[in-house]
Amino acid sequence: MSEKAILLVEDNPDDVELTRIAFVEAKLANRLVVVSDGVEALDYLFARGTHAARDPDDLPSIVLLDLNLPKVDGREVLQAIRASERTRSLPVVVLTTSAEPFDVEASYALGVNSYIQKPVDFEQFVWAVKQVGLYWLVLNQPHETG
Amino acid sequence: MQIAAVGRRLCQPAAAACYRAFTLFTLDLHDAVASVSVGIPRSDHVTDQREEARSDDSGSQGSRTDESRSDDRFRLAMQSSGIGMAIVDVDGRWVEINPALERMLGYDAAELIGHAAAEFTHPDDIVMSQASMADLVEGSVAALDAQKRYLRRDGEVLWAHVNVAAMRDEHGRASYLIVQLRDITAQRAAEQTLRELNEALEQHDEQRSEQLQAINRQQELFAYGISHDLRAPLRAIDSFAALLAAQADQLDETGRDYLGRIRAAAARMSDLIDSLLELSRATRAELRLQAVDVSLLAEWAYAELADAEPERAAEFEVQRGLFALGDERQLKSLLHQLLHNAWKFSRERERVRIHVSGERQDDRLLLSIRDEGAGFDMRYADKLFEPFQRLHGPEQAGGNGIGLAIAQRIVERHRGRVWAESEPGSGSTFHVELPAAAMDEDEA
Repeated sequence: MSEKAILLVEDNPDDVELTRIAFVEAKLANRLVVVSDGVEALDYLFARGTHAARDPDDLPSIVLLDLNLPKVDGREVLQAIRASERTRSLPVVVLTTSAEPFDVEASYALGVNSYIQKPVDFEQFVWAVKQVGLYWLVLNQPHETG
Repeated sequence: MQIAAVGRRLCQPAAAACYRAFTLFTLDLHDAVASVSVGIPRSDHVTDQREEARSDDSGSQGSRTDESRSDDRFRLAMQSSGIGMAIVDVDGRWVEINPALERMLGYDAAELIGHAAAEFTHPDDIVMSQASMADLVEGSVAALDAQKRYLRRDGEVLWAHVNVAAMRDEHGRASYLIVQLRDITAQRAAEQTLRELNEALEQHDEQRSEQLQAINRQQELFAYGISHDLRAPLRAIDSFAALLAAQADQLDETGRDYLGRIRAAAARMSDLIDSLLELSRATRAELRLQAVDVSLLAEWAYAELADAEPERAAEFEVQRGLFALGDERQLKSLLHQLLHNAWKFSRERERVRIHVSGERQDDRLLLSIRDEGAGFDMRYADKLFEPFQRLHGPEQAGGNGIGLAIAQRIVERHRGRVWAESEPGSGSTFHVELPAAAMDEDEA
């Protein structure tokens, strides 16, 4: 299992806590890195701003991306990830409350790997996050970069 | 208004004589037909055949008398005509004016005669008038039939429907023009008002359409807000209640009951939000019309219900080959709502029995969804499709009261109808009328 980080881009502290609990229950011991807006997400990924000290080649194994974020929203973050040579093949899973068809369509058009609507029900939520984690961190063979 | 006949030949070359009196033209003015006979004294021509016939005893004196009578008849016709009439020379100057035209223009004949008609023509119509007159004089057109503006003495514009015919000599040269005018100012004003009204209506429609778009956009944003911002706290409520329930050993029975209630309420609210979003989507989503296999959609919707409650004994029958013309996504939602309703209200039965059938009537598809569930009291049938109206409480499997409102919205958007009949205790039948798809060769 990869020791790389899981980057959670989420501004709602409740959802951050619930996602953390779900990963604990899923026994996915990876470091969960949480950023709370789109700007910080991009700073982390491109090792700049408050994350300038980071090794830019140390990319997370997966990005869990909320769509509605302060400052730079999830679509723009996704666009920036796909536009950069280094982050182009990074797995990005949209994990959001919206199931609006235009959000789903826009996300796939921008090259998202997967789109998950966060269930309201706690058990279902934990189950969904576990499945995402298991699939992308355990089952999926990542594209080796760098 | 049109000129039915324009003058007969003025001269008969073989007889080397000219008629002075002849029917110049017949006017057909919507409800009145006026024949205008006119004679013009010609100094260079001598006799009339009829005069010749009588010349033995009356001589040239008789000719003068007949000519005068002809003139008199014409003048009388002009004088008494309710239509504005004038004789204009080939240079466009008024030669004679009748009282009706005097009244129309507000001038006395004496003030007009000898003046160019163009002086009294609206500046914007002078060029058109003169060009038309030139065509007429030259002979390239037989008669004029046009609408033009004159200027009255009081400065007002007179809109007239004008007929002009040329009278020609034996060489075919135009000698005079006979002009007839009908005042259509009121008619033009009415037309103008109508045009303005139509323009105003169009503008109003445009504004309304813009307003509708703005409202739609607002609704979309509102739905989006509901989707995001209402669900997130709900997830927190449910989840932390669930986490608390995991420490149930530290709670007494009442505490556990409360947690259960919190989670049940969160689930209901989540369901309500989903339904409101679906209702909003049914209202505003663009319809993509195509031939849709309704039988297949019914099977699909049923399979979802059966999968969600696999322990439930159920029977489902659907007639094959029912095709509607509609939006597949929305019709799927329609079938889901109707079957879900049938399923839900069959809860107290040992077996769920749902029967979907249909028939085509001309270009309409009539669908029936029959269940053997609880049924409802027909007295409340009109409340069935209103949002938030429930005929059953939660303990009778009542839902959130939106499902049938969604169904109705979808049917309305397809220009169809939905209604229901029932007898409490023996089940309900929901009828849906939708546009049928062409299901002949193309579908086969």
